[in-house]
Amino acid sequence: MGEVIVVTSGKGGVGKTTTTANIGTGLAALGHKVALVDTDIGLRNLDVVLGLENRIVYDITDVTGGVCRVKQALIRDKRLDGLHLLPAAQTKDKTAVSPDQMRALCKELKQEFEYVIIDCPAGIEQGFRNAIAGADKAIVVTTPEVSAVRDADRIIGLLEAAELSDPKLIINRIRPKMVRAGDMMGIDDMIDILAIDLLGVIPEDEMIVITTNRGEPVVLDQVSRSGQAYRNITRRLLGEEVPMLDLEDTGGFFGRLKKIMGLK
Amino acid sequence: MTYLKRDARDEIFSGFSHGDLEGIIDENTILVQRTLRSGQSIRYDGNVVVLGDVNPGAEVAAAGNVVVMGALRGMVHAGAGGDENAIVMSFRLQPTQLRIANHITRPPDNEALEVDRPEIARIKDGVVTIEAVSTGSERQAKVT
Repeated sequence: MGEVIVVTSGKGGVGKTTTTANIGTGLAALGHKVALVDTDIGLRNLDVVLGLENRIVYDITDVTGGVCRVKQALIRDKRLDGLHLLPAAQTKDKTAVSPDQMRALCKELKQEFEYVIIDCPAGIEQGFRNAIAGADKAIVVTTPEVSAVRDADRIIGLLEAAELSDPKLIINRIRPKMVRAGDMMGIDDMIDILAIDLLGVIPEDEMIVITTNRGEPVVLDQVSRSGQAYRNITRRLLGEEVPMLDLEDTGGFFGRLKKIMGLK
Repeated sequence: MTYLKRDARDEIFSGFSHGDLEGIIDENTILVQRTLRSGQSIRYDGNVVVLGDVNPGAEVAAAGNVVVMGALRGMVHAGAGGDENAIVMSFRLQPTQLRIANHITRPPDNEALEVDRPEIARIKDGVVTIEAVSTGSERQAKVT
C-alpha cells in the first residue's frame, strides 16, 4: 500500500511543480515506483518540467470522467522506469474534478505505486481542495519572502483543519548572502512563524531555470547545489538522516582566496 | 482540597473584600490553547487569552481584554464593543494593526518592531499608548 503526498504552498511560483518533479525523479532513481499527479487543471506544468508534454494522450479528467482507465493515462518517464506521470487537462479548469473523485483516484493509485506525489495548484479554492482530498501527508513549499510565508501559514492552517497534520516544510530559493546581509528572511525566522518540521532547504540556483526548460529534473544533475539539495530531501523522505547542505557559497577560487586573506 | 465551580463565587475567592470582587473578577474569559495561523480568527464577547502566537493574517477580536502569551503578530481588537478601558497585553507585541474600542493604530512605518519584553497597550489621555509591563521588582527599583 503506497503513500500519497501532496506538495502545496498557497503562494504561486515558489517551486511546487519543480519540487514534485525532482522528489519524484529522485525517488524513482533510487528504485522506487512513483506516480506524479498534476492537479493544476487548466494550467498544467508538470508535464513540461519532466519533458513529457509530447506524450500526453489522456489526462486526469479523462480518468475521473470514465473515458479511459488510469493505466492508459499514465505516462512512463523517458529516463526512469519506475516514474509515471498522470497529467492534468489543459483545456478544462479545476471544476472538472471533485474531491470525491480525487479520493477514489488516489486510492486506486496507492495500490500500484509506493509513492503518489500530487502537485497542488496555487490558491485555497477548488484546486487545493481537490489536491488534498486523497492525501496522507503534506509538504509545504515556501520561499524566504514575507508574502510567501504568510500564504504558507494560511495553507498549514487549512491542512490542519483538513486533518493533514504534521506537514513538512521545504524552503526554496534561499540566498545565504542576502540572509547574512539581513535582506532576506532566515531559516529560523521562518520556522518561528510556521512552526513545522523542516524537510530541506534549496538554494537559489540558475540550473533550475536551465533544467526545467530542458525538461530534465535537476536532481539528476551531479554538479548543481540544488540537485544535491533535492537528493538530500529525497533521502530524508525515505527516513534517512541527512545533514543540511552547507549553503555558504564559496564564490569560486577568488572567493576562497578572499576568505583566507580575511576580506569579505 | 476541593475546587469549586463558578456559581459558588463567594467561596472560590477567600481573603477578598466584597467590593473587590465586583471590580476585579471578570469571569467571561476564554482560553485558546494554541497558536492562531493566518486566516484563523477568534471573536468573543468577553476576554480572550491565547496560549501561543497570533501569526500575521490571524485576528483576535474581543469585547474585553486580550492577552497573548506569545508573539502577537496579527490583528487584535480589544474593547470591540466600545470599552475604552480594554487592554492588549503580549509577550511580544508586534501586531500588524492594534485596535482598542474605536481607536485604530499601527506600528510606525519603516521601523522593524524589535521587542524583547512583554508590553501592554491601553488608552491613556485619549491615545493608544504602549508601555513595558513592569514587574514587581522593577516597581521596587523605581521607588528606591
